[in-house]
Parts: sequence; C-alpha cells; structure tokens
Amino acid sequence: MVDGSAADEPSGGNSALGRRLDRGDPATFPEWFNTRKPRANLIVARWVPLALVGLPVLVLFCIVVYPTVWMFYHALHDTNMMRLFQSNWSWVGFENFATVLSSPRFGDSVVHLGIYLTFGACLQVLLGAALALILYELVKNNFLRVVFLIAMVLPMMLPPSIVGVLWKFLLTPSNGAINQALLNLGLIDQHIEWFNAGMSLWTIIIADVWNWTALPLLIVYSGRVSLPPAVYEAARVDGAGTWTTLRRITLPMLKEVIAIAFIVRFMDAFKFVDLVFIMTSGGPAQSSELPAYIAFQRGLREFAIGEAAAYAIIIFLVSAVLITLFLKYLKKVLKAQGFA
Amino acid sequence: MARVSLKDVNKIYRSRHDEVHAVNDLNLTVNDGEFVALLGPSGCGKTSTLRMIVGLEEISSGQIHFDDVLVNDLDSQARNVAMAFETYALYPNFTIEENLAFPLEVRGLSAPERKKKAREIAEILRIDDILDQRPGSLSGGQQQRVSLGRALIRDPAVFILDEVMSHIDAHLKFQMLFDLKAIHQELKKTMIYVTHDQVEALALADRVAVMSNAELRQFGTRNDLYHTPASVFVADFIGEPPTNFFEAELFTDQKGTALHVADSDLVIQIDQQHAQRIARWNESRLTVGIRPQSLHLNGDRNLPALEAEVAINEYLGERSILTLTSGACRFRAVVDADTAAARGERVRVHYAPEDVMVFSGQTELIIL
Ligand SMILES: Nc1ncnc2c1ncn2[C@@H]1O[C@H](COP(=O)(O)OP(=O)(O)OP(=O)(O)O)[C@@H](O)[C@H]1O
Ligand SMILES: [Mg+2]
Repeated sequence: MVDGSAADEPSGGNSALGRRLDRGDPATFPEWFNTRKPRANLIVARWVPLALVGLPVLVLFCIVVYPTVWMFYHALHDTNMMRLFQSNWSWVGFENFATVLSSPRFGDSVVHLGIYLTFGACLQVLLGAALALILYELVKNNFLRVVFLIAMVLPMMLPPSIVGVLWKFLLTPSNGAINQALLNLGLIDQHIEWFNAGMSLWTIIIADVWNWTALPLLIVYSGRVSLPPAVYEAARVDGAGTWTTLRRITLPMLKEVIAIAFIVRFMDAFKFVDLVFIMTSGGPAQSSELPAYIAFQRGLREFAIGEAAAYAIIIFLVSAVLITLFLKYLKKVLKAQGFA
Repeated sequence: MARVSLKDVNKIYRSRHDEVHAVNDLNLTVNDGEFVALLGPSGCGKTSTLRMIVGLEEISSGQIHFDDVLVNDLDSQARNVAMAFETYALYPNFTIEENLAFPLEVRGLSAPERKKKAREIAEILRIDDILDQRPGSLSGGQQQRVSLGRALIRDPAVFILDEVMSHIDAHLKFQMLFDLKAIHQELKKTMIYVTHDQVEALALADRVAVMSNAELRQFGTRNDLYHTPASVFVADFIGEPPTNFFEAELFTDQKGTALHVADSDLVIQIDQQHAQRIARWNESRLTVGIRPQSLHLNGDRNLPALEAEVAINEYLGERSILTLTSGACRFRAVVDADTAAARGERVRVHYAPEDVMVFSGQTELIIL
C-alpha cells in the first residue's frame, strides 16, 4: 500500500479529482503515517480483539441461541420428566401444540391474559401518561418535579419478590392494612377476600399497576419534556385553551412515545410470571394463571418440557406478531410526519 | 384594531449566573392601522420586544397598552394578537392546511369554511401545492410562509411578524413584499414587522423603529431616517452602501468656515449658518457623514467637491460603486454604471452642502 498509489491510479489518473484516498498519498496522510511499519504500533496482541468479541458472542450463544434451538427441538418431542435425562425422546410432530391449544387451562389463561392486558398493561400506560402530563403541567418547579418523579419511580425499583410479599401482607384479608383501612373509613363493612377465585387475578393486577405505572410515566414524561416549547407558544397565541392543546397538539405529538410505552408493557405482559408466582401461584384453582406462568409451571416444576416449550413458542409467536404490528404503525406515523 | 403603545418597557433575562438586559427603556407608539417595522442588527432585542407585546414573555418593568387597555397582565389569548414566529413553530403533526386553519378551528369555524380560507391564504403565499404535506418535509422558506399564513389567516387586533422573509429567495421576496403591503392596505390592521433587512423595512413600513443594543435609536418615516438620522449608528445602518464617515475638525479662514478631514487634505464645505451652529457645539472632534448617493461625478461645477483617487470600481448592474482614497481616508460614491474610471485615476465628486450630516464626535448624535 505504501507505494501503491501510482499503480492503483484509475485510467486518466492525472487529475487530482480522480485520485483515490490512499495511504501513499502524502496529501491525505501525514508522513509518519505513511512510513510506519504496518501493525507495528498496535497496542495489543492480535488475539485480544478476537477474544473481546468472541467471548461475549460465545456467552450469548450459550444463554440465548442454544436454549432457543433446544426449545424448538423439544417442542416437537415428547420430552417429559421421565425421559429428560435418558435422551430417548421421540418425535411427536405438533402433538404438544395440539395438547396446549385444546386444553381448557390454556383457554382460561388466554382470557386471563386478555384481562391483564386491558386492565393491567393498558391501565398502566394510560395512568402513567396521565400522571406524566399532569406532573409536567402542574409542577413547574424543577426541584419539586424531581422529587415527585423519584417518589413515583420508587415502586419500580423494588425487586418483584419484595413487591409480591409486600402486597400479600397489605392485602391479607383478615388483618391486612388495606382491608383495615377500608373498614375504618367505612367504605366496606366486611373484609374483601382478595385471594378468592374471582378476585385473585385482580389483586395481582392491582399490585402490578402499583409496581409498573412508573415506567410508562417516565417514558411519556421524557417525551413531553422534549416537545418543542415554541409549538406551545404558537398554540397560546393562536388561542387554543388547555384542553384543545392537549387533545390536538400534545397527544398527537406523543402518540409514538405512548405506543412505545405500550410495546414495552405488552412485551412484559407476555412473560409476566413473578407476581403471579409469589402472590397466588396461579390459584386458587388456576383462576389467576397466565400463559407464561403455565409454561413455567409445566416446564420447570412439572418437567413437561415439550409442552412448556410449545407454550413458550405460542407466546413468542403471538407477541412477535403484535410487536411487529406496533412497529409497523410506528414507522407509518413517523413517515407521515416527514421523519424516516 | 388597536393602537399599541409601549412605555418605559424593559426586559431583563435573569439566569443563575448573569443578567441580559435585552430591552432597555423602550418607548414606542404604533398607531391604529399603521405598519411599523422594527429594524436592527441581530441580538438587539427585537424578538424580545415582540414577545412582550404578544404576552409570551413577562415584562420586567414598564407598561404596554392596546388602545387604552393595560395588557401587562393579560395572557396571549386575551390580547388577541396574531404572530408569525421567527422559528416558525409549526405544528409537526398537522398537515399544512391544518396548520393554517388551526387558529380558525380553535375559534369554532366550520370545516368547509376553514378549508376555503386556508386555500385562499395559501394561494397568496404560493404554498397551495403543499397543503397536504407535513412541516417536517418542507424547506425553510416554505415553512416560513406557512407560519406567516397562519398569522395572516386570523382577524386579530395586531399582527406581529418576526423575520418572516429571512429564508425566502430574492425573487419571491419581492413578490411577497408587494403582497404583504397589499394585504395591509386591504385589512388596515396594525402590523409590527421585525427584520434586520433595511430593504424590507423601508419598502413596507409607514414608520421604522431602529434598535440597537437593546435601545430604540430612532423612530420615523423613511425620509427621517435617510435624511436626518439621529445618530451615527442610524446613518450607518440605513442606506446601501453605508454612509461615508469622516473624522473632521472645524476650521475658519478668510473664505469662511469648513470641516477639515483628519489625516487627509479633504475639506468639506458646509452652509455658513450651519457652521455657526456647529461652532456653538464647541467640540473639537466631529464625525461627518456623506451618503455615497450624494456624491456626484461630473456634478454641478458650482458645488463643492472632494478630490480623490479611484481605488476600486465595482460594477453592480444598474450602477457602479467607486471606492476612492485620499490620504488615509477611504470613501465610496455611487455613480452611473458605465462610468469609465480606472484604478489610480484622480476624480472630483461634487456634493451639495445640505447633504452633509454632522455628528458630535463624543455622543455620536446628530448636530445637523
Ligand atoms: N430566553 C432568553 N434567556 C436569556 N437571554 C435571552 C433570551 N432570549 C433572548 N435573550 C438575549 O436577549 C438579547 C436579545 O435577543 P432577541 O432575541 O430579542 O434579539 P433579536 O433582535 O430578535 O435578534 P435576531 O435578529 O437575531 O432575531 C440577546 O442578547 C439574547 O442573547
Ligand atoms: Mg429575533
């Protein structure tokens, strides 16, 4: 390369315009660069960059790629506890999927998931968005804003096990704090049985809303902060009141951000296991089971690996379709506004 | 419609570390239906003044009246002003048509009526071909016209237009200046137009307020500004090419009193009555201004003249600009386009004594 420039010249290469950027060109690179020995001043040995890239790839392969392939494999085999360590799995085609899709347990869990998505995930996003906008509009002092934000984000920082146990205590029917408080306030006249069959899913939703509303709040709040103030000045001058501004300007401008908050919460909803496990274990009588929880239960506690894998794949496919639709929508919106 | 009057208005931006005095004791009255331009270099406080009139910025001290109503504490909605923003401030999620029609939508006009009006204004501003696009995909000049349109579509007490033509090409600007003037003559509304381009200001405005360094320097018609500029700054700022300035001293000999230009042998003649007024001022150093347009090559032989050497002869189409030197002095004269004056040639440029402007050397304010 050092003296390659003359040989590499394109035909008619006398013109300065046609000259390639080349190491041999003294106009492009300084003298020391042209005369240095290739590789002489690499500061690390050659295997170091390979190792730096290779190790993480290897780790990712072990904890992501291999288990995924393994899961697909076992979804098509009759792997269960008896045979798990014997390696004599036999091919059953889509039998696991058929079992799952036809079981009433799965059907119920889909209904539960629907309830959870509407009243858990959606409510969190709507509540979070509302709180974010109210906080932004009402609290103008920067210090107070930070204080409020931190206060609202605290629940999100607790580990799920703590949140679950905390709410279990708070909601204990006989002497839990919440029932006591409601009784004292005269809002109810007997204990609410929070962990009854009809109630337990809702109880989980209450705890989850408390736990996760802060995430959409943060997302929407940061979106609101980054909206251009000049647009709001224009709206004021144009005579738009608070409500019109919110409806016609703020919400439309935030719709991508809110969509992202939805995506994040929906993705979590499909793999929502922790609070279910800690608070109700899916009970009583499977009345608060979600698909991911059944996959967990069947696979890691009952070792019906094939069936659990089928659950996981179904969840994966449905969520992938939903997320793709979301992203498509997002792209369309951005395109309509002249970005992207 | 409204008369807008500002009385001792100040704007001070305070941050944790320092203060910026953006507008200093501004007194200005814009009559009902008048077209006033606010002209000044970048950063002199024009936008700050407008924002206080519109109600987007708190007034640090002073009073703003619309007719006889004190509006200091009224918000923008209550003041009923229409503003075109320097930064456009278009609604990114609306189409151009919705942007234009938003002020009407807020006021509850029906959809077909809004559409009709938006189309009308878009045709005037030549943006009717982009009505269904969104601001993100427009050029700066197009966005600027949308922003202007969104102000003009309304029927406010006062129109406030902040540098609405800075990104528009010269050809289209010429058309738009004409259209804007026509709109003003038709609507007869008070308009305050901010610009740092004197051509726009002088072309459009009934009166021009010249600002610099947060202060109002002069407020008057274009004749006032051109012929009796209040200070060296105004004389320099108004007029293209800028006024020639000379450092000069008064001296008297048997022929009478004249001004002697420092560091050269140029002598500038003035009327004898004027000379007495200047003498009464009793200042040794004076600043003398003569506009390049007032210097005539081959002028009236009876008039006094400056003799100098040609340094540059710039040909600018319908006229040429000669840059002349005499000693350490350099000045310019506007001459006919076909003038054949070569570099190094000595020429005489004549002027009328009444075209000579004399300013105090210390305060830089006009003496005559
Ligand atoms: N929000 C603000 N905070 C602090 N200083 C400001 C603010 N807005 C303007 N200033 C300062 O006030 C001065 C006047 O600004 P202004 O925007 O009024 O100038 P302008 O005459 O409109 O200039 P231009 O022709 O560049 O638009 C400037 O020195 C600017 O730095
Ligand atoms: Mg400005």
